[in-house]
Amino acid sequence: MVVAMGRWQPLFIGGVTLILSLIVMGLCALVAGANPVTAIVAIFEGALKGRYEVLATLAEFSAISLTGLAVLIPLRTGFFNIGGQGQVELGALAAVVIGLFVTAPGWIVMIIALLGSLVAGALAAVVPLFLRVQRGASEVTTTIMMNFTCVLFMYVMVTGPLKDPKAFYGTTKLVSTAVRLPTLFEGINAGVLIALGVAVLMYLVGRYTVFGLQSTAVGCNRSAALAGGIKVDRVMVTAVLIGAAIAGLAGGVQILAFSFRVAEGWSKSWGFQGIAVGFMGGNPLGVLVVAFIFAILETGSRNMQAMTGVPAALVSLFQGLPVLIYVGLQAAIRISRWKTGAGRSRRRVVVTR
Amino acid sequence: MSSWIVSFLLATMRDAVPLIFAALGILLAERAGVLNIGVEGQMLAGALTAVVIAVLTQNVWIAVVAASITGAVIGVIQSFFTVYLPADQIVVGIAINGTCLGLTSFIYKITIDKGMQLIAPGTLQSIAPGLKDVPVIGFFASWSPLAYIAIVAVVLMYLFLFRTGPGLLLRSAGESAHAAHAAGLNVTLLRTIVLCAAGSLCGLGGAALGLAVVRSFTDNLTMGRGFIALAAVYFARWNPLLAFGACLLFGAGEALAFRAQAAGVGLNPYYYLMLPYVMTLIAVGLFGKGRGPRDAGKPYLKG
Repeated sequence: MVVAMGRWQPLFIGGVTLILSLIVMGLCALVAGANPVTAIVAIFEGALKGRYEVLATLAEFSAISLTGLAVLIPLRTGFFNIGGQGQVELGALAAVVIGLFVTAPGWIVMIIALLGSLVAGALAAVVPLFLRVQRGASEVTTTIMMNFTCVLFMYVMVTGPLKDPKAFYGTTKLVSTAVRLPTLFEGINAGVLIALGVAVLMYLVGRYTVFGLQSTAVGCNRSAALAGGIKVDRVMVTAVLIGAAIAGLAGGVQILAFSFRVAEGWSKSWGFQGIAVGFMGGNPLGVLVVAFIFAILETGSRNMQAMTGVPAALVSLFQGLPVLIYVGLQAAIRISRWKTGAGRSRRRVVVTR
Repeated sequence: MSSWIVSFLLATMRDAVPLIFAALGILLAERAGVLNIGVEGQMLAGALTAVVIAVLTQNVWIAVVAASITGAVIGVIQSFFTVYLPADQIVVGIAINGTCLGLTSFIYKITIDKGMQLIAPGTLQSIAPGLKDVPVIGFFASWSPLAYIAIVAVVLMYLFLFRTGPGLLLRSAGESAHAAHAAGLNVTLLRTIVLCAAGSLCGLGGAALGLAVVRSFTDNLTMGRGFIALAAVYFARWNPLLAFGACLLFGAGEALAFRAQAAGVGLNPYYYLMLPYVMTLIAVGLFGKGRGPRDAGKPYLKG
């Protein structure tokens, strides 16, 4: 068995996970009556073969990397933010409302809309946070309940107060071109850069700030962190609010860069993909890598369906399967080390202030 | 009784049955010290299995058994990850939910592509449809046979957990795995068996949803019902009898949501659909988590 691979271990586990997941996906394609290799190649072709495809992949990437960060940052303090989907919806709603109703120069409205989506996303996490800190209720249930509540609230808004009267289904009006995020070079939207920027920022915060160290300490050993004088609840609350705000930003960016309106069924399951991405990413830069793989799968799945007849829903396997394999491998390696005695005391978190 | 109240009570019972089975599955697992966050996935898989098998065989009972076997298989897979390895129970549960969501919607698309009409026979909707116009008896005759099975299961679960030796052993593994081990109990084996049984109960819950409530399947059919059942268990302090009551309450919320929506009482219909979720949040807020089995959620490592 593998023992003590040090810093390369996450990369190794990630690679093995990806290969195993693709194999399972190939088997499923086989069951659906297609050649597994053709199906998987069709996915990658559909996502990367031309400029248009790459841009579509980057659009997905901008959403999934942000929702991945929204899971990762709270997770470091031991909070499972499964409410990404609801936070995305509220963030998107806020961006649309501000984009439609605030009158000011375009770029100012744009910035206010992005800030609004941050705030709205964070608001979606307030109830689960309150219930966790004050009532000790597990966020696994409450964030899921908030997902449904927020999605339904979005439906209330797009079929009610915000509905475009001319439309035949529930949708808002399009935000005007002046407030949309600009395309910068080679057709790449500023939204993609926002996602990259937030990830890099979060990486630096995690590595070089007191808050970053405290989050890791709280996540690794809550009682030790408490004993070390860290205000554990405050650190957790901050991390969750930051995470949820980033999920809200994912919604805002999608609105201002790609979809320009909120409508019935407008969103993909970014929040749920973010869960897998956040778990496997390990750190904000890792999230970018995993998110890109997920974006490829999401974008390429239609091509696979067109080329091989395998339903595009096949890639939704990736919402859970890789995580299962990943945590399984991780646990297996940890246990085998623990049993052989190797590296029993290698991970130590030193807390200083 | 006015007919509105009767039909509301019937809908309450109907919507509560899937929750009851799922709650029993969660409760059993947590009493033995394992969190069954994968309940949503087990229900989804159970529901799809039940509907597909019912359509293929035209026999709802074979479908019910198949659904509980599916749930049990997922329970065994889950036990491999959470009991043998053991990996984090919450992460594994979330991953199981995601996998099942993806897998069921993939299989569902394939059945549609193959031209299957996923409409299950309605024979599980009421136990004796012929008697439905008889006063009083008609009310009970309109319940699904699964509702009666659920009630029996609740009572049996209570008796098993609190009145039998094996039930005591099971609870001891949930309170202190190491003490149970020291007393000669094989905790690993026990938790595996329990997860298998819990999975099959959750699969049954899915079958009740797919066969007796909606009679069909769609993507993410369960819509968070597994998590509502989870909240019901916390609400009920891990007690099967109280969990039954909590599930009825949440079932009533669901029934009310659809009734109010149909009656079109002023508000936007989507507000009513929020009701079960908001109710769950309020219930969690009012009663908090409480103290559950002490070792629930902790991975158990021998030695």
